[in-house]
Amino acid sequence: MAETEPRNQGDMSTRSWWIDAELTRDVIKDTEFTRLDVTPTLINPSKLKYVYRYENSDGTLQGETPTQNDPVFLFIPPDAGTYTITAVATAVDGEEDYASVTLRVESSEPFTRPALPDDDAPTIIKVDDVSMVFNIASERFNSLKEYFIAMLSHELRFKEFRALDHISFEVKRGEAFGLVGTNGSGKSTMLKIIAGVLDATEGSCQVVGSIAPLIELGAGFDAELTAAENIYLNGALLGYKREFIEEHFDDIVEFAELEGFMDMPLKNYSSGMVARIAFAIATVAEPDVLIVDETLSVGDFLFQKKCQRRIKQLVENDNVTVLLVSHSIDLVEHLCDRVCWIEKGEMRMLGPTEEVCNAYKSLEK
Amino acid sequence: MAADEELRKSYADEVWSPDSQRDRSILYELVSKDFKLKYRRSALGVAWSVLNPLLMMSVMAAVFSHMMRFSSDAIPNYPLYIILGNITFSLMSEATSSGMGSIINAASLLKKVRVNRWVFPVEKVLFAVINFALSLLAVAIVMIVFRIAPTWHVIMLPLFLVYITVFCVGLSLFLATASVFFRDVMHLWGVFLTAWTYATPLFYPQEILPEWMLKLETFNPMYHYVNYIRNLLLYQVTPSLKLNLACAGFAVLSLLVGWVVFRRNERKFILFI
Repeated sequence: MAETEPRNQGDMSTRSWWIDAELTRDVIKDTEFTRLDVTPTLINPSKLKYVYRYENSDGTLQGETPTQNDPVFLFIPPDAGTYTITAVATAVDGEEDYASVTLRVESSEPFTRPALPDDDAPTIIKVDDVSMVFNIASERFNSLKEYFIAMLSHELRFKEFRALDHISFEVKRGEAFGLVGTNGSGKSTMLKIIAGVLDATEGSCQVVGSIAPLIELGAGFDAELTAAENIYLNGALLGYKREFIEEHFDDIVEFAELEGFMDMPLKNYSSGMVARIAFAIATVAEPDVLIVDETLSVGDFLFQKKCQRRIKQLVENDNVTVLLVSHSIDLVEHLCDRVCWIEKGEMRMLGPTEEVCNAYKSLEK
Repeated sequence: MAADEELRKSYADEVWSPDSQRDRSILYELVSKDFKLKYRRSALGVAWSVLNPLLMMSVMAAVFSHMMRFSSDAIPNYPLYIILGNITFSLMSEATSSGMGSIINAASLLKKVRVNRWVFPVEKVLFAVINFALSLLAVAIVMIVFRIAPTWHVIMLPLFLVYITVFCVGLSLFLATASVFFRDVMHLWGVFLTAWTYATPLFYPQEILPEWMLKLETFNPMYHYVNYIRNLLLYQVTPSLKLNLACAGFAVLSLLVGWVVFRRNERKFILFI
């Protein structure tokens, strides 16, 4: 497919120069990128200015770069499809030439649901009649004075707020389980209870094995420490053995694509770089339970795809139980075997994905 | 199926710390973090842990030996008297002030990952103890300068460290709990520490205290702890059984109260941080 078609304008003999363009790879996946090198036949090519534009198979312009001096263009495909990339070179005297190449971008496989676990697979998450009650009034006092005044004037009455009301479900090993609900429905509270950071007011929640929470990546990082030091600190906090981190340190760095930045304090990192490291640490091992939050949009486009691939790997693994929390239904439909729909703290529905998702979607109408 | 299970278990053993080791490795990582951050980008680095008490002692010795004119019979060596009091008290004040805010500062983590919450206040105390151990080098320097030879009593120092560490852990657990619910505690504690500094014979001899005040000192844990280390290094006598009991008693009492208060309330922390 690597057709380099130099379509030079005018008569070749009257021109003093032209350009050739070549792609490093002409068939790529939509999670990858490729490089276009432009070679001008000119004694002093540094005087050339370049513009790159790419069109899809219908001939619609998809993107154009500003004028630049660089004869190299990194093509990051917006989606799968066939693309034509055109490089336009302009000399100082206004003379121009262009070269086009075409390439195919294949779509990587979409998320697939893992095989349903056997009936005798062990239960990993057991949520048994869980209720969560918050005392709204009691949370308002931030100072002793306010508290005592309220106590003396007998205003210490608590307004109860039931964030979760008698929720029960079980998740088996290897299953992908979805939690859906509108904003403020109690999903996050349920998630915190499963992650073990919040204790239920009534009922019990048991989780067997280790949990990798992919929520709020980077909590527990210290901005003053270097990236390497943070990897060890965060690793210990997530419960990894030190030897395990030492062994897999290079894997983490490689996955985060931050080789050479390890001795830089984290405060000099961009938020995207921090998120890359956080994601790399959290997913370096196979946990028993992987909690994936909807807010998982980490780093740039390419890294997001990479994250999705890694999550997919973990989802397809029979040993990993995945808990996906989302208010958007698409990912849940793709990924989950069973879904629990929580609305205003109450369990609306629990069952196979189609059934619950269809009911949830009818809410929109 | 059984082989599968075994494989899974061996993988888990390789990756995850067992519960008992987990707290230990978190403590280790947190202490080493604090240590690195304290001395990062300072030219003298860790030497400050030794220099600081020395400089503090010099200032205080210069000021107070002129202002107060203490009789020298009560105190064999005034600089040593001061530095022992100072480092002991600052061990407590550092441990408690940083331990107090440790839960609030770990908020983002505690909301996300299940970690035993007590490691945060305890870590701050351990860090203060390490600093204290370093400032014992400053004490050694003072003893060398004034040609005071240590006696066998030095071997009782670890016992002293156990007493005061346990005391600080209890107090920090209590303060960390209190400050989660009432942030006022954090402001009040600074004032309280200042008052406590003056109420404890750190730079003045206890003989100048009136009778009633001396009686009150029985209830001042720091009075006993400061006395204990001075017995070992300055007066070079064996601490009496009574003093040992007082030190141990306050330590156990503090730990008991701190632990009970902490454990009963830690489940509610997440709602307030």
